[in-house]
Amino acid sequence: MSESKFETVSSCVDNFQHNEHTFDEIINDEHLSTTWDRYHLIGDVLRNDTPDILQLDLSQEIAKAIADEPTVLAPKTNNVFVLKLKAKVVEFAKPFGQLAIAASAAGLMVLGVQSNVSQNNETILPSQIVKTIPMAGIAEPVSLNFQQPDVASQKQAFIEQQRRFHALLSDHKQQIKLGSLTVNANKVDEQSEINSLDTNKANESNK
Amino acid sequence: MKLLSYVVLLLSISFSAVAEESEPAKVWLERLSVSLNKLNFSTSFVVVKNNQAQPYHWFHGVDDNGKELEILSLLNGPRRDILRKGDVVSYIEPELPPYSVSSQKISGPIPSILSGDISQLETSYDFISVGRSRILGRPAQLIRIEAKNAHRHAYWLWLDQHSSMLLKMSIVTKQGQPLEHIQFTHLDITDKPSESVLQLHETELPVLVDIPEEYQQQQLQWNVNWLPVGFKQINSNRHKISLTKQPVEFMLFSDGLVDVSIYVNASEEKQRNADFAKDGATLVLNQVNEGIEVSVVGKIPSNTAKKIADSITIKPPKVP
Repeated sequence: MSESKFETVSSCVDNFQHNEHTFDEIINDEHLSTTWDRYHLIGDVLRNDTPDILQLDLSQEIAKAIADEPTVLAPKTNNVFVLKLKAKVVEFAKPFGQLAIAASAAGLMVLGVQSNVSQNNETILPSQIVKTIPMAGIAEPVSLNFQQPDVASQKQAFIEQQRRFHALLSDHKQQIKLGSLTVNANKVDEQSEINSLDTNKANESNK
Repeated sequence: MKLLSYVVLLLSISFSAVAEESEPAKVWLERLSVSLNKLNFSTSFVVVKNNQAQPYHWFHGVDDNGKELEILSLLNGPRRDILRKGDVVSYIEPELPPYSVSSQKISGPIPSILSGDISQLETSYDFISVGRSRILGRPAQLIRIEAKNAHRHAYWLWLDQHSSMLLKMSIVTKQGQPLEHIQFTHLDITDKPSESVLQLHETELPVLVDIPEEYQQQQLQWNVNWLPVGFKQINSNRHKISLTKQPVEFMLFSDGLVDVSIYVNASEEKQRNADFAKDGATLVLNQVNEGIEVSVVGKIPSNTAKKIADSITIKPPKVP
């Protein structure tokens, strides 16, 4: 019985089987024939083939079909199995995750301890001078006697540089304002410096 | 009859529009120069750079005697006004007491060459007419001033189809990345000069500063051995930077559109790598090499600034 049920269902779904035997079974079995009906109706709805008048009735039919569906397509026993499986997965995963966190924390601690140890080593050899290659490109000595430029002085250098940029910018604007008068007076005399430039055009156009 | 005149008007406008489009870019720029010198206009624009907008008012007029009157003022922050009466330009700024210089060009965000002789840019730049678009609610023609080599930025100008006035300007890298914009937000062209510029007649301008010619053309003990083709020396002097009181030796170069300042001074530091700062399209380079601090400022790409800075050589002291 279950096999024939599956057959009917599949025939309804893919709309392919034209076996007399299956049709007979569907017609004889009231349950199957109604299912078959519903599936066709659903198909019609999906394809927008249903006439307008049927639509109100159809919604109820679809609701019924949906309500009936789990008993045919998805047996309850399966659901229970999946749920059990899920529960087991969660149980297994939880301790693993905690273990991973614990392990990484331990790793960090080991790293921390190691770096502490290495720092302690430096104090043992106070006269040791390590040559490093800093970003600026010039090697600077690093030792206990050498004062590393701290964050504050770096900030100070940054502010100093910003101040310099600002001053240059405003002076540039100032000089353009003053410089424009010599251009307009047409008193621009080529200096010896300009002759060394790679431009002959500049000289020509100025003359 | 009225309808007929409308039709004629429409036809003439569309005809002139067609004629304008086929005209070369240089004609457009020449017309812009005439407009900036001859028209009575009051206009507002914003300079957009570094994610900031600076609003300006700009008035220009020609009085009955043919004298040009001009006011350019920054509207945000401390007062920065530039006044011009014919050949005298006055700068009112927070950093310095007001002063006047003898010049026919005001030095503001808009390059002064646009109201001058554009043909002097032809050695270094190509003028390209690109296409039309809509700017400030008007049909506009896009003209590009493209550098002939990679050492400079390009200037894109949008000009009003009817008045040839500037409606928008962008400074764009050779790769097409915009650095700075000037967008006009309002433009009024009138037959008579506006009240605000005519008030300049009653205004007494600050004292004219007299800069001796020798001061601007001093012999300095260093050479700039490389500059992009087309740059000419405007002046060279020794002065103190007003904000830091740092004495410097200074040279100013210009190709007509772009100004490049070069500063050289002795430094306490022995060596420092090149550091860059950008203000819109304006680049500042600062480096110390063998105790000599070199700074380059101008609307040029960083590669160009670095090349200029590295080309500077100190003249050996003269053998007595």
